[in-house]
Amino acid sequence: MALDKQFIGREYGPYRYTLGEEKMREFTLAVGGAKPGAGTPGEPPAHVSPLLYDEQAAKAGPHGGLIAFPSFAVVFAIRPFSAAIADPALNINMQMLVHGEQDLEFLDVMRPGDVMTTTGRIADLYERARMGFVIVTSESRNQHGTLVVKGTWTAIIRG
Amino acid sequence: MPRTYQPGDTFTHVRECDRYRPIYYAGASGDYNPIHIDPEAGSAAGLNGNILQGLCTLGWVVEAIAGFVEDPGRVRRVKARFSRPVRPEDTITFQGRVTAVQDGRLTAEVSATNQRGEDVLKGAVVEAFIR
Repeated sequence: MALDKQFIGREYGPYRYTLGEEKMREFTLAVGGAKPGAGTPGEPPAHVSPLLYDEQAAKAGPHGGLIAFPSFAVVFAIRPFSAAIADPALNINMQMLVHGEQDLEFLDVMRPGDVMTTTGRIADLYERARMGFVIVTSESRNQHGTLVVKGTWTAIIRG
Repeated sequence: MPRTYQPGDTFTHVRECDRYRPIYYAGASGDYNPIHIDPEAGSAAGLNGNILQGLCTLGWVVEAIAGFVEDPGRVRRVKARFSRPVRPEDTITFQGRVTAVQDGRLTAEVSATNQRGEDVLKGAVVEAFIR
């Protein structure tokens, strides 16, 4: 897989995303093992923190209200990564692509109504052992301009 | 008394990837890649059926550390390499070990193995605030 290094530094975004309370709850419970049904995200399994889905409990908790499950961030922060690997300029065979590595840093909690703006860039492109590596970094800031999530996304193109 | 944490402390989290988990996760996350929701598409890609989204497995690592520090809002970082697919009906055991505690923050290494003892993640590291 030949990857053209001239595309290192190519930028994607900004992408805007508003966190909805019910979407946050749905994500938490889908990861947590609930079985969703029509109109409900499912019953929360015992190990899932009420700070993530129960408004009353969350109000009395350390954050004073509901927060998002940390990796809920992937729902919006993935945008520059998906845009990069689908970028016609890179000419990647999506059939051969796998998600190789992921690094997420959470600098603040996320709450319902937060408006996140995500930007990203191709940080590196290289070939190793006949496989292609595409590294995209992302930054997501909330409506106050605070950096909330940093991501490093690695795609591997087999063969 | 707030709980204290020390290097060498361990934690465990066990999760089953039930038959429809990749589909539930697709709905919640928006990751509808056919290799995750369609066994035929997974087989056509040489994966011998459909596989769970790696980011769902990464979410389970976040659950493991969030439970250990007793607050998901304290999780500061999660990092891992996806070394082997998780498949429907696999059971994944996450085992964490604290490697450092400094300035109100802990770092832990986490292993994730399936029911055959094979690693599904490599080099998984988590960080969390502990106060």
